[in-house]
Amino acid sequence: MSAALQIDKLTVRHGAVVAVTDASLIAAPGAITCLVGVNGAGKSSLLRAVVGLASSEGNISLGAQDISRMSTEARIRAGLAYVPEGRRVFPGLTVGENLLVSGPSNARARRQRLDDALDLFPHLKPRIHDRAWQLSGGQQQMLAIGRALMARPDVYLLDEPTLGLAPQIIDDVAASLRQLSASGAAILVAEQNAGFAERIADETILIRTGRISNP
Amino acid sequence: MLGAQLALNAVALGAAYALVAIGFVLVLNATTAVNFAHGESVVAGGFAAVALAMLVPAGSAIPGIILLPGVLVLTALLGLAIAALAYLPIRNRPPVSVFVTTIAFGIIVTNGLNAAFGAAPRTAPALLGTGTIEFLGVTASRQSLAIIATAALLIGALAFVLQRTQLGRQFRACAQDPEMARALGIRLTRITLLAFALGTAFAGAAGLLLAHQFFVTPSDGAGLILKAYIAVVIGGWGSLRGAALGAMLIAFFEVGVASVSSQPLAEGLLYVAVLLVLLVRPDGIFGEPQRLRA
Repeated sequence: MSAALQIDKLTVRHGAVVAVTDASLIAAPGAITCLVGVNGAGKSSLLRAVVGLASSEGNISLGAQDISRMSTEARIRAGLAYVPEGRRVFPGLTVGENLLVSGPSNARARRQRLDDALDLFPHLKPRIHDRAWQLSGGQQQMLAIGRALMARPDVYLLDEPTLGLAPQIIDDVAASLRQLSASGAAILVAEQNAGFAERIADETILIRTGRISNP
Repeated sequence: MLGAQLALNAVALGAAYALVAIGFVLVLNATTAVNFAHGESVVAGGFAAVALAMLVPAGSAIPGIILLPGVLVLTALLGLAIAALAYLPIRNRPPVSVFVTTIAFGIIVTNGLNAAFGAAPRTAPALLGTGTIEFLGVTASRQSLAIIATAALLIGALAFVLQRTQLGRQFRACAQDPEMARALGIRLTRITLLAFALGTAFAGAAGLLLAHQFFVTPSDGAGLILKAYIAVVIGGWGSLRGAALGAMLIAFFEVGVASVSSQPLAEGLLYVAVLLVLLVRPDGIFGEPQRLRA
């Protein structure tokens, strides 16, 4: 079983603006936790702070390990994976390269994980040699999740994974998240699509103006 | 046949310029900052070759190709020094800070070389000996052919690393989206150091290649960084392939114009041509959409 992500009294500031105040939550292994709130509620800031891309105060731990003071790179190595809003795949790299780039240093293990990622997202298989910018939004979302999967993380952090996607593609995203969750990973999804959150979440947490309503 | 010989000279000059321009882009892509000490790194490579050749007992000539690994190592270390002293401590400051620190570093290199070697032009050994060889009726200088072969080998090796290895994939990912690369666990500082080491080593190799045919003086850096800059601008900002093509265009322009007039006029007209290119195509001749570089 993977480790749980525990966030305790996290405060995130962007200069003088406080984006998140004293947020506490737990994303449990084998479960999908949805952080639901409107645009500007602080969801993205919270995820960016967890992965170390935004500075914050408070405690973040992964299993028994305190990762609050770690660099972003160290947090990823400790077991986090981040799928940002807007996917942010590497447009000039091929689909295969986008997946391989976050894989382990051992070439054989990297190839094996590539095959696993393509098994989870078979639509990417015929596009393996295409550049990422040539993919549709839905395919790019699959690629972004697949890229995170390559690191075999304990915890997935996904920011608005359904933004701009067609309903059929949203179903595919939901199915892939359930599959990852079933493998034992903890999944924390920031989402303003309440319908999607209701469908997939084992636990739903509301965030309003930077404060968590029901921790 | 004269045309073929001129073309060969242009390709040789372009190959050396391409090494300079590619080295410039490697650092640019890893940092989004312009390393203004890059021209001095070319000069340092030339003087490294001069210094290494002086270590050989008097009377025995050593081919430049034997010195190449030493020049690559020394200039790679220079690149690491530029990164450690002029880039990493201020990487989160506005880009103009890096301009100033790298310009300052370049001035230190120039003055250091002046103090060590004097201001007079020096020459490095030829790569594989001097003289000419006849091929299909064309008389080609050994040095020109050796420059082309050496540059092709270095550029080919770089292309292999960038396209076929995990390190190369990480390098290109950092060039396209550094924050996302970090969020995948890629060590950005390590990639940055590598970019400075590789980019400066490429500049150093160009210095060795150019220092036999054109001599080298400590103050040559400004002209060389300008040519690298022009190659990158007309080739498309951040594109390695564009930088090489831009460098080749510059060399053909210089050799072509100089063959019917003079070198100073060729250099002057080069800047006129660049202005005209940028007026017509602001993204450069081979400019590509943003973030598709490397």
